[in-house]
Amino acid sequence: MKELATSLKRYALKLTHPNILFWVMPFMILLLVVGTVTQKEIGLQQAEEIYFSSFFYMLGFIPLPGGLTLMSILFINLLAKFLLGSEWSWAKSGTIITHFGVLILIIGGGLSYFSSYEGYMAIEEGRSEYLVADYHQRTLVIREDKQVIYQTNFENLSEGMVISEPAFSMTIIKACYHCGITKRSEEEQEGWTSPGRFMQLNTMPRTPQDEKNMTGIEFSIKGAGDGLDGKYLTFDKFPKPPQIKKNNKTYQIAIERATRELPFSVTLQKFNQEFHAGTDMAKAYQSLLTVTDGASSWPVLIEMNEPFRYRGYTFYQSSFDLSGDKPYTILAVVENKGRLFPYISTLVIALGLMLHLIIRVSGRGKENA
Amino acid sequence: MLKTILCLFLTLFMSVTSCAQTNFPMEKFGELPILHEGRLKPLDSFARTEILRFAKRENPNDTDCLTWLATALFDPIQSVTEKIFFIDDAVTRHRLGLEERRKPFYSYAELSDGLDKTSAEVMDIIRNTEIKPDKAQQELLAVHENALQYKQILRSFSSILPLNIVLTDEWRNKAGLAKNAPVTFASLQKINPDIEENIKRIIKRKGDDPAKYTLREQELVALGLQIKTISEASGNNNLFRVIPAINEDFASPWESINNGKGSPTAATHLKIWSDLAIAWQNKDAQSWVAAVNKLSHQAHTNYDSGRLWIEVVYNQFSPFKISLLIFSLSFVLSCIYFVNRSPFIYRCAMITLYSAVAIQSLGLVFRIYVMERPPVGTLYESILFVALIAPLVSLFVERHLKNGIGILSGAVSGTMLGLLALSMAGEGDNMKVLGAVLNTRFWLTTHVLCITIGYGWCLLTSVLAHLVLLEKAFGRVQSDSQDKLIKTITTHGLFSLLFTIIGTILGGIWADQSWGRFWGWDPKENGALLIVLWLIWFIHGKIAGQISQLIWLGGFAFLSVIVAVAWIGVNLLGVGLHSYGFIDGVFWGLGSFTIFELILIGGLMMIISNNRKKHYAT
Repeated sequence: MKELATSLKRYALKLTHPNILFWVMPFMILLLVVGTVTQKEIGLQQAEEIYFSSFFYMLGFIPLPGGLTLMSILFINLLAKFLLGSEWSWAKSGTIITHFGVLILIIGGGLSYFSSYEGYMAIEEGRSEYLVADYHQRTLVIREDKQVIYQTNFENLSEGMVISEPAFSMTIIKACYHCGITKRSEEEQEGWTSPGRFMQLNTMPRTPQDEKNMTGIEFSIKGAGDGLDGKYLTFDKFPKPPQIKKNNKTYQIAIERATRELPFSVTLQKFNQEFHAGTDMAKAYQSLLTVTDGASSWPVLIEMNEPFRYRGYTFYQSSFDLSGDKPYTILAVVENKGRLFPYISTLVIALGLMLHLIIRVSGRGKENA
Repeated sequence: MLKTILCLFLTLFMSVTSCAQTNFPMEKFGELPILHEGRLKPLDSFARTEILRFAKRENPNDTDCLTWLATALFDPIQSVTEKIFFIDDAVTRHRLGLEERRKPFYSYAELSDGLDKTSAEVMDIIRNTEIKPDKAQQELLAVHENALQYKQILRSFSSILPLNIVLTDEWRNKAGLAKNAPVTFASLQKINPDIEENIKRIIKRKGDDPAKYTLREQELVALGLQIKTISEASGNNNLFRVIPAINEDFASPWESINNGKGSPTAATHLKIWSDLAIAWQNKDAQSWVAAVNKLSHQAHTNYDSGRLWIEVVYNQFSPFKISLLIFSLSFVLSCIYFVNRSPFIYRCAMITLYSAVAIQSLGLVFRIYVMERPPVGTLYESILFVALIAPLVSLFVERHLKNGIGILSGAVSGTMLGLLALSMAGEGDNMKVLGAVLNTRFWLTTHVLCITIGYGWCLLTSVLAHLVLLEKAFGRVQSDSQDKLIKTITTHGLFSLLFTIIGTILGGIWADQSWGRFWGWDPKENGALLIVLWLIWFIHGKIAGQISQLIWLGGFAFLSVIVAVAWIGVNLLGVGLHSYGFIDGVFWGLGSFTIFELILIGGLMMIISNNRKKHYAT
């Protein structure tokens, strides 16, 4: 048993070796450079998926470690160093505290990565909302009299896929994450319902800015009855998704952003935008809201750099839309369990580095870096 | 020697005050307030910004900027013949049909034919938003935009300047004009409803063929048409906002008259500006002074005229141009010191560096006072701030080393950053108001100051590493001095890490407060992280003995490129939430700097390595 413990310790001590950090760093720098430069072509979201949130990526034909791999190695190396390789002396106290701060930062980052949720709410002045829309995730939603009866993420859809509902069966003809719209030729209009009779969806390459990708499907309906069976299309933000009326019930088929319910609702009372005098440059914008949770409700003001936090959710003034009759406020909604970690780690790292510098400058740790 | 240095100083100071004197007292005119690009600024700043936009310099043809502005405002006919448009691009000159000149300055009158000819092409460029205009099209667009802006300035006071219109006694009486009083658009506005009513009646009675009208009726219709033409040509002229309006806003003279933004105060101001215009046209210095004094008194009563005055002083003083010159002087003196080791030269180099740092600080204090926020809201401002930090830290280095290295490194960084700031100053107002996200004093003071201090510290560390590499390559300094310098670099590397890592995390916290996420892999965030990772790599590499001292020095010297890429280079991508903005000309500059540094650092490392091999061989 003692031998096992000794050999385990020996292996654990190997994990503290500075060579690990020394060789992780250039790969991290390379990852950072590649992941940043490619953002111009592929956009932030794809760059994040391919490089920073992956275990490995391909640089040409060379496989290289991705962000998750490198951060895991760094964390293990630092944790091992902190627990087993630290020289617990006054001279090294600054270094130890700094390393501890970095560990807190990485733990917080991991917690945020695995547990955080980001979405947005677009609320018209005078209206209430309790649904948070996902920035990226698109879903196919089928509603029966406004009740969701079927929902699946876009990634699950494929050509030829059959979705059987009690009232009808639906077959996917085409699914495109970013669709272009062109005119459908007269020879191909047979069997299509309006507006699909006159327009068709074409698969296009994804645009780097994910919000500009227009996700859509073409599908056929069978079993709905004469006049309703046929081919349809719908896409993200399509104002009038196809509706099928059967047995006094209305079925709506739509492509939407995935949503999440809040345990409370918010109502936009007023949206204000303040400009720098004589310009159209926004100086500040703010949303006056009423939060309703059960029987209680109270006013809340959200401004740029002044978010509102409640029940683990944080609401930020993200954007707005003044093009309609009434203003819309767009609030980013975030649920993040690792939110406090950066705040704590900043203090710890600052304290550690300052202590290290004081010890070094005062000459008590001359041998230190 | 001291006399020579003093003479040099005086020459330098004199060279940066640009505005020539005129026979009209212009100082108080320059301090009058104008609302421009979102902030209240003195006319002096407005004049400098505008003339810089047209002429790419503040005093083309030795014209004082305020005199130019007054001429453009009050004597537009004279102004259209002034050659103030600098058109550097030969293709654009050819397209506008302009003759070739040694100095390519042209007047508005000379441009007007070419502007007419190319207006259809410009409209096509503007409409076609999907295709980015090429360089020639961009140049042409810029000329058209400048001409439009200039036209707005020329017409700013066309509402109150005398018009070449003859009014009958009847209409003069109705307009409340004395017998010899000049006819202005403002006075015509009073009778315009009557004129319009009369014209309607004439048209109703006789139709719209002027041949059927009597001579008097024809004159009336012509008058109505003239009023309409002037109003349409200048009606949306809102550039020259000098007339106080309601809600502490300012309106242009045209807005004041047309858009109902007028008030009794506005009427008083318009009358004084009208007096000012007449005084300028009549070359009546006494009336000019009286009118300017009245406006100045109004401004003093209602606004923070001290702030306006400080801005004028800042404009005239040009602190950053002066500090650049003194940094350069300090660089020359410290180079001389390394040749002759004269204590006198050492003291002079030290004094000049202190002076340059003091003037740089003063310039930043001016900016903080005028803008009422930390001076780091834009890329240009951050360069100015870093140009203070690096030399300031170098003074501490010099205090510690006492061998001239600190002065040299401070002078080098001050000069390089000063030149960079000069190239980034652009042609517009560099005291910009900030957008909603940046409009927070707390985060500008914490995150941005912290990260820019980090940039400054990194750059100084890099300069010090360059100097050690130079010393090692050419062996001029004893080894104990080198060891001391290497220890200094280690300490300053740690300070750089402290400020960049804290600045980066604070940036994440700001992002968390503003957008709801701590880290978004945005290019600017990644740039800051790149510096942190680079420092961690080389600091730990040295501690654990994985890299030699030479590679460690090379890595620290290359920190200049890492900082340049993180600070300025990421803007080239033109993506991300909080880049300062894309800058076209930076790519080649940054590329050249990187290649230069690679050759310099690589070359020095090779020389040092060869020297060592020779040393061991012997």
